[in-house]
Amino acid sequence: MTFDLTLSASDLLLLAPEIFLTLWLCVVLAVDFSFKNIDHENLAYLSVGGIIATLINLIWFNYIGVHGALFNDTFVLDGMAIFFKIIIVLSTALVLLMSIDYVKSFRFFRGEYYFLVMMSALGMMFMASAQDLLSVFVTLEFSTFGFYVLVAYLREDERSSEAGLKFFILGVFVAGLLTYGISLVYGETGTFVFSEMGVTSGSYGLAIGFIMIFAALGFKIGAVPFHSWIPDTYQGAPTPITAFLSIAPKAAAFAILIRMFYVALITFKPMWVLLFVVASIVSMTYGNIVAIAQKNIKRLLAYSGIAQIGTVMIGLAAGTKRGSDAILFFLLSYLFANLGAFAVIVGVSNLIKSDEIEDYNGLNRRSPFLAAAMLLFLLSLAGVPPLAGFIGKIYIFLAAIEQELYTLLIVGLINIVISLYYYLIVVKKMYINEPTDPSPLTVSAPLKTAICVCIAGTLLLGIYPKPFIDWAVSATLMFSNIVAPTAAVPALPSLVGG
Amino acid sequence: MGSLALLTVLFAPFFGAIALIFVPNREALMVRMVAAASAGLALLASAYVFVSYDPNVGGFQFKTHWTWSEELGIAFYIGVDGIGAPLVFVSALLLFAGIFVSWHIKDRTKEFYIFLLILAAATIGVFMSLDLFFLYFFYEMSVLPMYLLLGVWGSHTKGYLGMTDPEGLKLRDSTKFFFNFGANSKEYAAMKLTLFLSAGAVFALMGILLIYHFSPVHTFDILVLREQAKFDGLLGNIIWLLIFFGFASIAPIWPLHSWSPVGHAAAPAATSMLHAGVLMKLGHFSIIRVAFEIMPEITRELMPIAAVLCVFSIIYGGFVSYYARDTKYIIGYSSSSHMGYIFLGMAALDYISLTGAVIYMFAHALATGMLFAMAGWIYDQTHSRDIPSLGGLAQKMPFLAGAFLVACMASIGMPGTINFIAEVMIIVGSWEKYPFQVIVAVLGIVLTLAYLFKMMRGLFYGKLSPEFEHVRDTSQWVDRMPLLLMISASIFFGIFPMHFYNVVRSTVEPMLDRINQVAPAIAQNTAGIFP
Repeated sequence: MTFDLTLSASDLLLLAPEIFLTLWLCVVLAVDFSFKNIDHENLAYLSVGGIIATLINLIWFNYIGVHGALFNDTFVLDGMAIFFKIIIVLSTALVLLMSIDYVKSFRFFRGEYYFLVMMSALGMMFMASAQDLLSVFVTLEFSTFGFYVLVAYLREDERSSEAGLKFFILGVFVAGLLTYGISLVYGETGTFVFSEMGVTSGSYGLAIGFIMIFAALGFKIGAVPFHSWIPDTYQGAPTPITAFLSIAPKAAAFAILIRMFYVALITFKPMWVLLFVVASIVSMTYGNIVAIAQKNIKRLLAYSGIAQIGTVMIGLAAGTKRGSDAILFFLLSYLFANLGAFAVIVGVSNLIKSDEIEDYNGLNRRSPFLAAAMLLFLLSLAGVPPLAGFIGKIYIFLAAIEQELYTLLIVGLINIVISLYYYLIVVKKMYINEPTDPSPLTVSAPLKTAICVCIAGTLLLGIYPKPFIDWAVSATLMFSNIVAPTAAVPALPSLVGG
Repeated sequence: MGSLALLTVLFAPFFGAIALIFVPNREALMVRMVAAASAGLALLASAYVFVSYDPNVGGFQFKTHWTWSEELGIAFYIGVDGIGAPLVFVSALLLFAGIFVSWHIKDRTKEFYIFLLILAAATIGVFMSLDLFFLYFFYEMSVLPMYLLLGVWGSHTKGYLGMTDPEGLKLRDSTKFFFNFGANSKEYAAMKLTLFLSAGAVFALMGILLIYHFSPVHTFDILVLREQAKFDGLLGNIIWLLIFFGFASIAPIWPLHSWSPVGHAAAPAATSMLHAGVLMKLGHFSIIRVAFEIMPEITRELMPIAAVLCVFSIIYGGFVSYYARDTKYIIGYSSSSHMGYIFLGMAALDYISLTGAVIYMFAHALATGMLFAMAGWIYDQTHSRDIPSLGGLAQKMPFLAGAFLVACMASIGMPGTINFIAEVMIIVGSWEKYPFQVIVAVLGIVLTLAYLFKMMRGLFYGKLSPEFEHVRDTSQWVDRMPLLLMISASIFFGIFPMHFYNVVRSTVEPMLDRINQVAPAIAQNTAGIFP
């Protein structure tokens, strides 16, 4: 294969958000190095400014409908890529805002922190556009490098180092797995580009190759059985980074998963549907049941995140356009609820230096704002109307019932009730239990901004989701000609006839 | 004008709750005034809706239709029929009364009123939803505030019930929580209630999604589904059972009732009132709205299930009430027993009995609202709900004793109260189809008489214990007004029931025509999917 690397100015336009962010990264780094005495807070605002400019750029692209592909289809900018980029950039902005107070506890490298966060964001933006296996590998590693450092950023904290090491070793192993899978797929098909694969006949090599790629991406999204790094890493990493990890890389990996399965492997839909049905059921059930026993709020959200990812995979199991729409919408709703919950955790841990659920006792008396925000976010995660998570779940379930995946639907619905239990336990601690130390807690302005944005998003998506649903629908227009398999999904134990 | 009034009923409490967020917590009087104002507005608007509902026209009136998402076939579609209108009215009335009943709450007043208003508004929303999605939306939304209302402002049931680990202190945080049946802490009650109702709700949601999927047009619009969707065979039965048991868990039908008395007992007075008064009717109402409207043929075939189960509800609830010692347990189980009457009235599928069932929902809301309000007052004064340790309170609370007597009479179905009309209609209407159940129901009334008078005697007569010398009667207007409001509503409609009767009848009649006289179903859309 040959690469045609002649680029015109209009081609570069497609890369404008990434190019801008890259330049901004260098600016942030240069400012950090040139002005030794600069307050890191100003650096944070500088970074947030750049991120917001990127966000505006992306929203403008979405509005005027800039679409296209570059580098022999390896980089594609379509509605879905823009959607995922907006999710990633938005979460980066919120993470930067919630980091400002947290970073004060670092003794070294405060400036580099912002640089690394933005660099990971850049990698993930490329990931959302990756349309062939090589760029999948490169972008995935690019985005993960930043995280390896960030997870272990608390140098004095053993847990953080442990988390970093665990994440690194498993991450490198997964990178190997991914490379191996890619090489097998390339050997069988002779191409890296999804749209050119047109896989029609299966072979063992191909199957093993794709399963390895799936395992690598499953590691990214934290699906059972590739989830084992999640709880420890979440607990040990600096909380804003945990928040970042919990949404942005997962969203980016879903972009790749959707492209890979919807484009390259559409002919094998009945098989991979089964794969996702099983993965989804196991993830939801395992995540929710293990979450019940957690004593640490970050671990609780880690397991609840595993369960939420299981719910997202219902959309992939549906394997239809509506499935992908639902995934997009759900991830957007998950972004606000999950980042909001982590923002509250950051706020609490900045003040009381603890993440134990026990220490949330009487939060309502100490800070009504934080408690009310946490209540809202947890209920949204549980899927309670009128919050975003409810619409997201209903949307996903509608996609599932269209494909008559009854087993998945029943498991998903029962899991809502299970998850309600442990979310309510946290609510109980905050509202019903009395605080041991009733001193009031105050929230800093940037954190408050982040939480308010998340509250606004959670409520808006729950009460008036129409524009966002329409956006998700238009973002995945290229999948509108996906044909549903003529026969029902084989070998699926369905409840009623079918 | 009418649809504007209906929107006001729904949104006044919501906006009241939003306004309360911005009122500082220390301004307790201001908080109460805002809550009372929004509830009062809702009450006035709902009274207008109820009075101006035209029974000669019938059907759904005061409709508002806003498209919410074409992609998913969801519209914000509200309107009331002859069943919804009185229930909306009584919900607003109980909310208004409840705000005054909880006037003396000191702990986190603002949050209390916010959650109470959200609870009531969501309940009202269910009664006016003409879209299955929003019906579920408001239904689930009404369940969650209950958790906090019970957990934060509720009260522990004390150890006198002879249960192990009465406060649930040892186990309430552990994973063994579910198996700690002996616990009667408010946390346990709140969690049990929420999980039970959410579990019921997701089964109903499953049914709703199946209706959506198997209807010829993918829509949640009840009016469209009613005309176009035909369900039968195995699929239809499964959907019907999911809908019935999903919603009946909140009603609560035996054997799904166990959350309800625990929840009533733990809840603060205003919450118990709303809970027993209107929240439980969500179950009956949703069954009528979804199962009766959309699946008339299957309703005709399967409704005898309710006729069987209601017997257990009536008898079991009645006997437990008779032997219970806790005032709120008695009223809670009595509510659970009285819900059996509504199921009986619904199961008979007869004009008179179904009309009676709807009127009974209204009547029971008022009667049980009064009882819970007064039980709450007594608890606030004496900090006890244990009847044997109380007694002689009539000496200190003459007004309350009188009001309590009226409430008991209403609950029993004394002529002159609306309950009498409802009970007679249920009994007369179902006699032809279910004579055995009617006999049980009549015995149930006798049982009601027995346990309510036993409670009355235990609370108000006999010797006053010296530790209760300090208790005082309801003397301020804020304390008496809600009781008088509910009593006067009960008696007013008991004496002038005709508009009410006509309103309900105008809706019940065409509905039962569809259920009883429809031709055998023609399987069109479901053909080929299920053998």
